Amino acid sequence: MAPRHTLSPSLAALMSAAAVLAPDAHAHAQAVSGESDSRVSYRYNEYGEDAFAGAAIGSPDRYRVYSQQFQLDTHIGGRGALDVTATHEVMSGSSPWYVLPGADNRPIQVLSGATIREHRNEVRAAYTLDPGTSASTTFNASYSQERDYHATALGVEHSFPLNSALTLGVGGSFSHDLIAPTDAVLYDRVRHEEKDTVSAFGSLAWVIDKSSVVQTGVQFNVENGYLSDPYKLVSVGDAILADARPGSRTEAAWLLRYRRAFTSADAALHLDYRYAQDSWGVAANTLDVGWYQSLPGGWQLIPAARYYSQRQARFYAPFFVDSSAQRFFSSDYRLGTFGAFSASMNLRKRIAHWELSAGIERYHAATDYALDGADSAVPGVLSYTRAFVGLDYLFE
Amino acid sequence: MSQNHLTPHVHRFGFSAMGCPCELQLEVIDPELARIAAAAAQAEVERLDRKYSHYRDDSLVARIDASADAGTTIEVDDETADLLDFSTTLHAQSGGRFDITAGALTKLWDLQSARVPGEAEIASALARCGWHHVLWRRPYLKLDVPGMRLDLGGVVKEFAADRAAQCCRDAGIAHGVVDLGGDLAVIGAHADATPWLAGIKAPRDMSHTFAKIELHSGGLATSGDYERAVIVDGRRYSHIIDPLSGHPVESFASVSVLAESCLVAGAASTLGMLLGLGAGYVWLQGLGLPFLCIDADGEASGTLAQH
Amino acid sequence: MRNRVSVYAIGSLLLGVLLLNGCATTPVQPWERGRLARWDMRWDSDPLQAAMDSHTHFSKEGSDGHIGAAGGGCGCN
Repeated sequence: MAPRHTLSPSLAALMSAAAVLAPDAHAHAQAVSGESDSRVSYRYNEYGEDAFAGAAIGSPDRYRVYSQQFQLDTHIGGRGALDVTATHEVMSGSSPWYVLPGADNRPIQVLSGATIREHRNEVRAAYTLDPGTSASTTFNASYSQERDYHATALGVEHSFPLNSALTLGVGGSFSHDLIAPTDAVLYDRVRHEEKDTVSAFGSLAWVIDKSSVVQTGVQFNVENGYLSDPYKLVSVGDAILADARPGSRTEAAWLLRYRRAFTSADAALHLDYRYAQDSWGVAANTLDVGWYQSLPGGWQLIPAARYYSQRQARFYAPFFVDSSAQRFFSSDYRLGTFGAFSASMNLRKRIAHWELSAGIERYHAATDYALDGADSAVPGVLSYTRAFVGLDYLFE
Repeated sequence: MSQNHLTPHVHRFGFSAMGCPCELQLEVIDPELARIAAAAAQAEVERLDRKYSHYRDDSLVARIDASADAGTTIEVDDETADLLDFSTTLHAQSGGRFDITAGALTKLWDLQSARVPGEAEIASALARCGWHHVLWRRPYLKLDVPGMRLDLGGVVKEFAADRAAQCCRDAGIAHGVVDLGGDLAVIGAHADATPWLAGIKAPRDMSHTFAKIELHSGGLATSGDYERAVIVDGRRYSHIIDPLSGHPVESFASVSVLAESCLVAGAASTLGMLLGLGAGYVWLQGLGLPFLCIDADGEASGTLAQH
Repeated sequence: MRNRVSVYAIGSLLLGVLLLNGCATTPVQPWERGRLARWDMRWDSDPLQAAMDSHTHFSKEGSDGHIGAAGGGCGCN
């Protein structure tokens, strides 16, 4: 090479720019793509429970809920994304109140009188830094308000890549809930109670190959405060007492999620499994299977099925014969042993900037569906039908 | 025969990648070591070819093109980010003429077999070109106009030659040279410390050698339009397109530059071509690297020209 | 106890599959991840619907449904 004494400015610029590309200066990092669309979404949901079919006292018409969701998902600055979701719900109907022993100790469900229309409003905001990448951070806050219940929650989640195939996620959240039951004096309910929930979670996602990813995660929730249901009563011996649960509850959950693309079929398989166990003795298995089928013309058809099974809390019984045995009592069907099958079908259609969606789900629960045989009857288990229609607009 | 086992021997490995013939010359005693090094180097070149080819629909470039059409932002890996940073420097150094987003224009001119594109076609392609339409905030890349096409052809082959040379060094080869379609990266001089000799042939008369260049280290790159120029009605249109005007540049038949790496040599020769006959020559002179320009009539000029 | 045993069985089986795959496959390169980045491969493909599902299951079942930052509770019956 011809000798050179000084570098021209152009050559200095080229060589310094090339220096980072020096052959030995390289480590090949991973990358994940993110999408930068802004989106406005609206959903209208209807939820209706089947009328109570068993032996019952009171109105058999159970809950109906009409919900509307509004969402704005947009990019802010070069690296941030903001997601604001508002939900408004109108609820009415009667719900299981307590259970009386009938002839031969067969349970008779007592249902509360049909409530007047109740409203729930919720606002949730999430700000994500570097969305869609393997090193993103999300801060979220939510507030939910009902006449008798206020919940405020804050959370943070962060993910970072361990290597080109593994991404570690960690996070935590805190929720402070205020409970102020209606007609407290009339029904001798608690007046002002509080509940705090702390959650911590971690997950590991692994890119298996070009078409499949798997994620495993653990979560711990610790609840403290008033964890009973102020509206539910329990039949204990000859007395009707207030629902009484321990003042703390610890739950541990394990999650496994799998996504697999079928390129030739233009479809994707979703498999989710979750196992959770808490200090009250409730243990639950959940399995979700979904098939995301893309069809010509911008259509997407998503059939899905879900199985859920739980084992009852130690202090659950439809009614209690003797009060001396324990301090805690609950006849809330949600703490009993039951299993549930549900099937759903969702449809989406993209038309230019618009996306239309609709879906229907049928959920059927029964004591017999549980993995564990039930120790006692759970008369309140429910079946429901849920449907929604949605309209999204995607900005350039 | 026994001498072959004691003294280094030049082992040659030919393969085809990046649309051109490639050859590795590795001077080493152990033929097995040469084979291992050659396999590693070839794999590296093929990796970069797969990753940056704009002819393959599974390449990263194809994904970036798709993101332009979808209007989405894409996060790129470090290697790609470094290449984009380097391209940004070339863009600045060339007054906007070196532009990796000129893919739509080069495709337009490449696609014509014996026809000059109409002004409307050129205007439409021009609207989809230009680094000013790129939002590049490492590691996030967004091509702001649907239909924009990335073309890293101006830097990837030279980068691949340097990488292949490094693969051979990593495998234990100290003497050898990598040749990717005329772009050379030296692994190390001959075992007896003499340089490798590279001949620059006449673009239209391969029997005539314009210059014999001694290569001790670094890289030698040649940019030219002799393979892809089209002649319409007797007029020669080069494939070197000025992304500012949308028209071919009146330039040299080839420009060769010698530098400390093939990447820098390639950048300099490409910029010399893009700047054209007058400005390119002046720029190369000012750059200070040894260079050789050959014009369409076969006249050689530059510091490497033999008089 | 029955379900707990089955859970561990599923867990170790999947772990076994993961380890086997881990040895056999080469890393997936950035430019090979186009299919993985698609909408239908996300953990929550439809966040609004996922939120509604989670809320419904939280209200009607004994176990809080998901992994991630929990919202507040509700007085739902």
